[in-house]
Amino acid sequence: MASETVVLEGHIVDSLILAKVLDQILESGAEYEVVDFDMGRTNLDPSRAVIDVSAGDPDELDRLLADLHQHGVNRADVTDAQLEECRVDGVLPAGFYATTNLETDVHTGGRWQSVVNPEMDCAVVVGDEVRTVPMHRVRAGDRVVMGETGVRVHPLRPASGATVFEFMSSDVSSEKPKALMTRRVAERMRSGRERDARILAVCGPAVVHTGGSPHLARLVRAGWVDVLFAGNGFATHDIESNVLGTSLGVSVERGSQTEGGHSNHLRVINEVRRHGSIAAAVDIGYVGGGVMYECVRQRVPFVLGGSVRDDGPLPDVITDVVEAADRMRAELTGVGVALMLATTLHAVATGNLLPATVETFCVDINQAVVTKLADRGSHQARGIVTDVGPFLGDLADELGAR
Amino acid sequence: MSPTSPVALPWGRRYLMCPPEHFEVVYEINPWMHREVKVAPDAAVEQWEQLRATLQTAGATVELMPAEPGAPDLVFTANAGLVSGRTFVPSRFHHPERQVETPHDVAWFRAAGYDIRKLPAGVEHEGAGDALPFAGALVSGYRFRSDLRAATELSALLGCPVRSVELVDQRLYHLDLTLCPLDDRRAICAPSGWDRYGQRVIASLVPEPLELTAEEALTFCANSVVVGNAVVMPACPLRVGRRLEGWGFDVEVCPVGEFIKAGGGCRCLTLALDVALGPAEAPLDDGGRARG
Repeated sequence: MASETVVLEGHIVDSLILAKVLDQILESGAEYEVVDFDMGRTNLDPSRAVIDVSAGDPDELDRLLADLHQHGVNRADVTDAQLEECRVDGVLPAGFYATTNLETDVHTGGRWQSVVNPEMDCAVVVGDEVRTVPMHRVRAGDRVVMGETGVRVHPLRPASGATVFEFMSSDVSSEKPKALMTRRVAERMRSGRERDARILAVCGPAVVHTGGSPHLARLVRAGWVDVLFAGNGFATHDIESNVLGTSLGVSVERGSQTEGGHSNHLRVINEVRRHGSIAAAVDIGYVGGGVMYECVRQRVPFVLGGSVRDDGPLPDVITDVVEAADRMRAELTGVGVALMLATTLHAVATGNLLPATVETFCVDINQAVVTKLADRGSHQARGIVTDVGPFLGDLADELGAR
Repeated sequence: MSPTSPVALPWGRRYLMCPPEHFEVVYEINPWMHREVKVAPDAAVEQWEQLRATLQTAGATVELMPAEPGAPDLVFTANAGLVSGRTFVPSRFHHPERQVETPHDVAWFRAAGYDIRKLPAGVEHEGAGDALPFAGALVSGYRFRSDLRAATELSALLGCPVRSVELVDQRLYHLDLTLCPLDDRRAICAPSGWDRYGQRVIASLVPEPLELTAEEALTFCANSVVVGNAVVMPACPLRVGRRLEGWGFDVEVCPVGEFIKAGGGCRCLTLALDVALGPAEAPLDDGGRARG
């Protein structure tokens, strides 16, 4: 995709020049957005339209703009973004442009180029392509965008056919019909699947505590989850519930505390550590069901990020948080729908990495989690205040996952 | 109820012409010009004189600017520029071959007491050849000879709204081959010369168009001069003549075949000097002095 800001001014309304130019853009297969329009006050005053034109590739755009030039369309006088080289690995030049998670273009080499991987709180590095790069990943010699000149950010647009966004656009609230909302999430997942978008599940331990684990396992088995992020707790309790029938020592069947159950999760972690990895524990038959089991069986990639509170941890847990975030980043390519399931810390961590264009649903019994996610910049997140266990059951049923 | 009565054009009684002493086809800048088709000088003079006499008989006064060697198309005074009241905006010609005419045009208008107001460098516009007043607006053609952006400049220089129309037929390369205002409601129109947006712009301006077929347009019958009730035409297809006469116009056919060899008809050979576009403008009178 290539785009350019153009200016059309003069007697463009009465003479239908604006209509002609906009029609011609669409007829060529390109798209436009009128970003500014200043209508002449009288029929003597010129009008002025500033239009963003987007075409499939730079050559197509050049041809279109050459055609439009005879109708008075000129490239807007846009200054290239200022670039400065990093001098030290992992340290940005002072005054670097700090990103949002919105779609962003950088004017460089005389044209607008889209940032290929929008992510908030990063720098933008201009090379063969224009990419966001987190601070610790920049290398000496990287050319970094400075200040806001030559940078433009596109406001969030609703996803195609995303009536659910309108439906859920009011403040997050428990006062919503849950079954309807579950159906709408299922619709968005189906729509994502149709456009080859990957679906991400971010899970907290409450998924297991509330009995949602078998339902999520169904969704993984049926192919509705393409990548999974969680921490040590979720994976541990998922395995504990399948190996010992408890979650943090509480029977998932009866809901009662089991004798000596407080140490169950430690024993499970210990056994998985003995086998070397969750995959090895699955292969050898120690783990025979559950979400992690299905991920291994279905080859669904997962990233388990560690924390200072972790017991064990499981051998798959990445204890270097910077490395964990990088692994999560690497798994985000192509993700179009994200489900944040009863997790605060992993939801915020993932929200920090997601482009705003990813349809994000945050399911939590505590509505403060959704608010927190939005407060941290993930404004695209839509909240469903409900108990995650029954929600996952309804969702799996709705999607026909067995 | 009777329809609104048309009101005669408030302009078209005073023209500038240039005798064809040096007129010939020595270059090719439109599809009508062929260097091998020679102009017959005596016939050209005779046709030009007859046109002048016809205009005068119809009630127009004709002023003359001297011909210049090396500027064969100076004879087409419509392209000298645009007149409004005491303002003259000289053309910025598209082709270098015709750019030599501008100093002569400017000299004549300056001597006649006009304010010379120029288009910015690089903004091409070929004067009354590509712009005609109608219904309070200046209708301006663009693409082959004139730039669209000239419209904004002309509006500022002349103080009138400008409606732009894209020309699409190389053979009808100037607006005055496609549009001829007849009075305040009617005009001869050649829609085949305009793109679909231009057709809509003209349709919104002209309540009663006399629409030409593409074939009729190529006779140059829109390149006519209207003097009050008289329409002085280089050619007149039967259907067009009947319609004009039905509307009460007197059709005067004045063949200018020698000039059509260079792509110009009656209108091209004349420049109306009594046009007032802006609300405050009054045309210069015959003596070259501004009216009060």
